[in-house]
Amino acid sequence: MSAVVIEGVSKVFNAGRADEVTALSEVDLTVGAGEFVSLIGPSGCGKSTLLRLIADLIPPTRGSVTVAGKPAAQARNDQEYGIAFQQSGLFEWRTVLRNVELPLELRGVSRTERRSRAAEMLALVGLAEFGGHYPAQLSGGMQQRVAIARALAVHPPLLLMDEPFGALDEMTRERLQGELLQICATTGTSTVFVTHSISEAVFLSNRVVVMSARPGRITASVDVDLPERDDAARQSPRYFDAITAVRRELRGGGVPAAS
Amino acid sequence: MRRLLWTLGGLALFALLWEGYKLVGDPDGTVLFGVRLLPRADDLSMPHLVDVLQRLGRPELTGGRPVWTVVLQACLFTLGITVAGFLAGAVVGLLLAVLMQRFRLAERGLLPYVILSQTVPLVALAPLIAGWGGTVWPERMTVAVIAAYLAFFPVAVGMLRGLQSPQAAGVELMRSYAAGWWRTLLKLRLPAALPYLFPALRLAGAAAVVGAVVGEISTGTRGGIGRLIIEYSREATSDPAKVYTAMLGAAVLGLVVAGLVSLLELPLMRHRRRVEVVTM
Repeated sequence: MSAVVIEGVSKVFNAGRADEVTALSEVDLTVGAGEFVSLIGPSGCGKSTLLRLIADLIPPTRGSVTVAGKPAAQARNDQEYGIAFQQSGLFEWRTVLRNVELPLELRGVSRTERRSRAAEMLALVGLAEFGGHYPAQLSGGMQQRVAIARALAVHPPLLLMDEPFGALDEMTRERLQGELLQICATTGTSTVFVTHSISEAVFLSNRVVVMSARPGRITASVDVDLPERDDAARQSPRYFDAITAVRRELRGGGVPAAS
Repeated sequence: MRRLLWTLGGLALFALLWEGYKLVGDPDGTVLFGVRLLPRADDLSMPHLVDVLQRLGRPELTGGRPVWTVVLQACLFTLGITVAGFLAGAVVGLLLAVLMQRFRLAERGLLPYVILSQTVPLVALAPLIAGWGGTVWPERMTVAVIAAYLAFFPVAVGMLRGLQSPQAAGVELMRSYAAGWWRTLLKLRLPAALPYLFPALRLAGAAAVVGAVVGEISTGTRGGIGRLIIEYSREATSDPAKVYTAMLGAAVLGLVVAGLVSLLELPLMRHRRRVEVVTM
């Protein structure tokens, strides 16, 4: 079963008004189980809108969104996905551990179980000993890791991420990318990842979906086949080839490779 | 400990200014072109602080109870009214804020009236409410209603601001957890509103004290500190220190209420402790 199926989806904001915006037009996208798909494109191409449609935070104007074989609204109610935004969005009045517990709490998981599960998730993102801290005590990168732990706490089959590393410095970014890949590999989670960094998209993804703006639509899909995704991979010819391919598509496509 | 020292320091500074002004100020006040710029510094207008404190120890009337017990009793009476008014006002304010957050229409419809309510002069309102006193409920309840009327306003406005403070990311997160309005209120909006609520509660505490004191005076309720100030001020010409004992009582009452309100804050704002940021 595919993790996400999007068919003929359009999204129009402020329909019928002077400030009407067509954010997405006739989008089709399928994300397979266990697949890591990045959405990349210039600002205003509707990549975040597409992610929000999958998350059922906004309804589509036309078309259908299916998550884990169910309509998006039902998938949201069943908490079939975990989500992380560019801002970690941690609740400052809760300790790190209690932040990670939040989705479990809302699901009615018993106290002892959510304690242990949240602790397990914090260990996964390497913050086991920071459970008792408050978010304000952590650096930006650590806060983002907590947000990822929170997104993973319900063991969702699908992880939705909207530029989660966008506000971080390059070094922290690369380290978290590695950690994210490891987590996805161990948990078998499918991932939809919104970014505007070509290298980030290529390094992380099985497939990079390129979008263009006005109206937002998918223009190309670049398969990335890296044997290993480690620091050595960042130097490999395949990696650079994929980057070139994505960049070409972003520039408008059609032009043959220089090689 | 340090805060206590600062408070004591403030008191000492006040005493110094008071007595210092008495020392250098013109006993008849400074008048320039018929406008009094500085108050009279004579013993009738500004009795020595020592006299005021000594007056506390002497009987109210010859052979009566010492003044301090009378003032203390009046303060406790007014404190009861203040607390009742504060609690009622806080609850009403909270409910109004939640209602206005929940329904946009309620915010648009109610908020102007909430603001308008505070521009109606209290003395005009007091006789209206006073009509119920003694029939529907005891007279002091009327005063509590007036205190509540002043106290609800900062809570309603501050709390509304607090409930609306969570950013879109937090609200969307709750939506992604399939949490409805009620659970979003409990888990996100209420905790997020606390930093807005406490300053509002402090204002409400001060407003409740003012409401109780003024309410007592304008409804003619006996037993409280407001009434005592009026009674003692009639003797101001013969016994100027006496009225200041009552004012002192009112000031202490205000401090006590402020202290009680800030006690509420302690257990709920643990995460606001000053902490060092861990970087790694």
